Amino acid sequence: MTLFDRVFNGSDAVYGLTEGAINAAIEKHGADKEVSFPNTAYSLPCYYGVTGTKVTNLGELKDALGVAKSLMTREKRLNDAFMSGVATALCAEFIEVLKYIDGAEPYSEPCYGHLADAIIRELGVPLVTGDIPGVAVILGKAPTADDAAALVKSYQAQGILVTLVGDVIDQCAEKGVNMGAGVRVIPLGKDVTAVIHVVSVAIRAALIFGNVAPGDAGALMKYTFERVPAFVNAFAPLDDVVVACGAGAIALGFPVITNETENIFRVPKSLIVQEDVSKFNATSLEARDIKIKITNIDIPVAFASAFEGEIIRRK
Amino acid sequence: MGDFKLTSVDEFEAATARLLETGAKVGADSWQLRVKNQSPHCKFGETGVCCRICAMGPCRITPKAPRGICGCDVHGIVGRNYLKFTAGGAATHSDHGREICHTLYLSAEDGNYKVKDPEKLKRIAKEWGVETEGKDIYDLAHEMAELALLEYGKPFGTQRWLKRAPQTTQDIWDREGIAPRAIDREVSTSLHMTHMGCSSKPEALIRQSLRAGLADGWGGSMCGTEFSDVLFGTPKPIDTEANLGVMNAENVNIIVHGHDPSLSEMICEYADDPEMIAYAKSFGAKGITVSGVCCTSNEVAMRRGIPMAGNFLQQENVVLTGACEAIVVDVQCIFPALGPLSKCFHTKFITTSPIAQMPDSEFIEFHAENAGENAKAIVKLACENFVNRNKDLVYIPDMKQKATVGYSVEAIVKVLDGVTNSQVDETGTTKPLIECITSGVIRGAVAMVGCNNPKIRPDHAHIELMKKLIANDIVVIASGCAAQAAAKAGLMDKQSKDLCGAGLKRVCELADIPPVLHMGSCVDISRMMILAATLAKDSGLKISQLPVVGCAPEWMSEKAVSIGNYVVATGIDTFLGVDPYVSGSSEVAELLTNGVREWVEAAYTVEKDIDKLVDSMIDRIEEKRAAIGI
Repeated sequence: MTLFDRVFNGSDAVYGLTEGAINAAIEKHGADKEVSFPNTAYSLPCYYGVTGTKVTNLGELKDALGVAKSLMTREKRLNDAFMSGVATALCAEFIEVLKYIDGAEPYSEPCYGHLADAIIRELGVPLVTGDIPGVAVILGKAPTADDAAALVKSYQAQGILVTLVGDVIDQCAEKGVNMGAGVRVIPLGKDVTAVIHVVSVAIRAALIFGNVAPGDAGALMKYTFERVPAFVNAFAPLDDVVVACGAGAIALGFPVITNETENIFRVPKSLIVQEDVSKFNATSLEARDIKIKITNIDIPVAFASAFEGEIIRRK
Repeated sequence: MGDFKLTSVDEFEAATARLLETGAKVGADSWQLRVKNQSPHCKFGETGVCCRICAMGPCRITPKAPRGICGCDVHGIVGRNYLKFTAGGAATHSDHGREICHTLYLSAEDGNYKVKDPEKLKRIAKEWGVETEGKDIYDLAHEMAELALLEYGKPFGTQRWLKRAPQTTQDIWDREGIAPRAIDREVSTSLHMTHMGCSSKPEALIRQSLRAGLADGWGGSMCGTEFSDVLFGTPKPIDTEANLGVMNAENVNIIVHGHDPSLSEMICEYADDPEMIAYAKSFGAKGITVSGVCCTSNEVAMRRGIPMAGNFLQQENVVLTGACEAIVVDVQCIFPALGPLSKCFHTKFITTSPIAQMPDSEFIEFHAENAGENAKAIVKLACENFVNRNKDLVYIPDMKQKATVGYSVEAIVKVLDGVTNSQVDETGTTKPLIECITSGVIRGAVAMVGCNNPKIRPDHAHIELMKKLIANDIVVIASGCAAQAAAKAGLMDKQSKDLCGAGLKRVCELADIPPVLHMGSCVDISRMMILAATLAKDSGLKISQLPVVGCAPEWMSEKAVSIGNYVVATGIDTFLGVDPYVSGSSEVAELLTNGVREWVEAAYTVEKDIDKLVDSMIDRIEEKRAAIGI
């Protein structure tokens, strides 16, 4: 199967799920039921960023799904694969927002789910100054828990903001990795759709700091491509849904590094197969052209600005 | 997106119309007028059914006269004409290559010509099994030049360069009996076969056409390209400008036109000389501007960034600006009309090669031995001529575009190294390009080559085809006048990435390249063969399986037919916008567009409708992708 077919299949699958979820929600709550994420001025930030339209209730969400569907064209061109990937991301946002109906709190420790505007504003300045030199999005299940912990710590030591989606969260917890926004390791959620909460960060960064007009998708993607130094580490096995999400990430300019070797196509600087997970860090930084300015201080504990927010508790 | 804008063919034509007004004032002839005089063309010639290879004729074939006097039928006549056409082209490129080999033979540490890329020379020497260790580079150059010259007339064996092709391709050539032997021999054999009373069987004639073509592409042209690189440097990305606006009204304008870089390199060398610049100033000019026309222009643009004034059908326009002090030519594609035209102005029309002597020109015979002094004499002559300029006639259209050129295979591989990841990839291969193609980010590649032809609106086909191809994520590699059309329009400006589909645009951004890559002159189509061979080897596919096609939408010369034959014989489908005088024979037309596929896994498509031509290329590329499951 070609890479584009995998993307298209993945976006079709996600569309199907989203359509079912929205219809079920309308049946349960009615089309006028309000939907929103907590603590954001940007409605559904991804959808708002891409289309310029705010979604307030389930009926509008259904309309928005129609817009997402219109992006899922199946021509054999990268633009179509990109747009299908973006549409997949939008569907993920729709699925996620449904979790918040009636002020529900769908995520609990250690997962964050949706991130408030305040956190983005806080992270935005160090991101722009290069104090946070990159954003790692780690997705799936590492070959071993040790691999997961080592990878996260390697980024953390470089000051890179790490977000986690899927089984990697449990793997890190198992290894006692200290997680939280304060130490720049943010577990988002166990479902793959939770990845949208980091995409939402990049898009809100463009809206807040980049002064990109909502709905100017071209300018949005240019900003994220040039200014948001994010990259994705996706562990094997990759299903079509993850591949479709990956297309969305690549559309925003974020390279995807994976250890998947089955039925995968390599794309220079964008979709890189690195079988050795211990080299994910070096491969990712080179792929995203992230240069770390670091002086190695030989001390018995980790040292990086990421640990500035750490809280020491009594045992 | 900035203020980047392509220059349109309409704008080209408006500028030409304005220049023709000047021409009318001074009583100049023009190709536009001569086309009118020659139209309509003779149908017998146009369909290839007229034969005049012996004095029993001329014969022509009609339904009432189905055979010539010797009894040859229409298929034999059309096939012979086609083979003769090919032989003309192969001879032309090959003789060019031979001149370069001779120049290499005369290279010397303190001579006019030096070895500028010794590494490339050593690389070729290793390929040919020549010992390089401890050898003086000039001794090696002379040894290699002699070996290369022997390729032209060796009594036994086939071309050395064939070994560069993938084994599968070499096997096809062997199986079909078309591996070219000595270069000159294939040309001679072609002329022998087409003599009265020799071959009249279409299969035999077309097979030899492919072989003569291969003797060019994988023989003469490859010698020309490879040893030009050795002598003058292997091209690397360099910025330049294109279109008539590169000429400078305040400077002495020297135009180099033709093909062989031995002449133009020397002229450029002297035009840069402070002594010459001071000399130009002594006549009231502010400096010296050298710009080029046709393939000699491509050569100096690729290596020196010398601006390109125009392509084939713009050669008269250069003189019509009234600001051309000298147009210096060597061989091939030079309008004899430049002689009478230059007489209408102060322009000196300087011929330099015994191969191309023309009335109404000043003949300054140019050889490798006297290159320095003659180049200097020519530059001086141009400077002295500045005072004769009639200022009332000067009009240089304010029209030029930026272009990044210089994409030799070596440069392309270097660009590709730039997008590798040192943690996972090896460098020095075409694999990143293959990955872009197999993933679908780039759909394929089209090699756009060839001339201008008044039968097609000049440059329109080149530019429109390229625009549609890049919008469909198909990368274009270009050479010859096709490349210059692209440069004039602005398609070699990196900013033209915004005209691409998302895939090619991303590639242009990451690799920092324009979407149309200038690979050089017409002999440099041999570079494209090497690129195709490398892609095949790096991907493990056959050349014929790659989603790559060739296209010559506005072709005109015999050389273009020779090129077409070697491209097809290398396994690459080739698309033509002008019929090669074969429509008079159903058998020959069928062979070329279909039958040869059985032999070499590729064939021609002739389509005069430009929109259909580009669509059929895109379809073919998608078919090739589907066939290998990408």
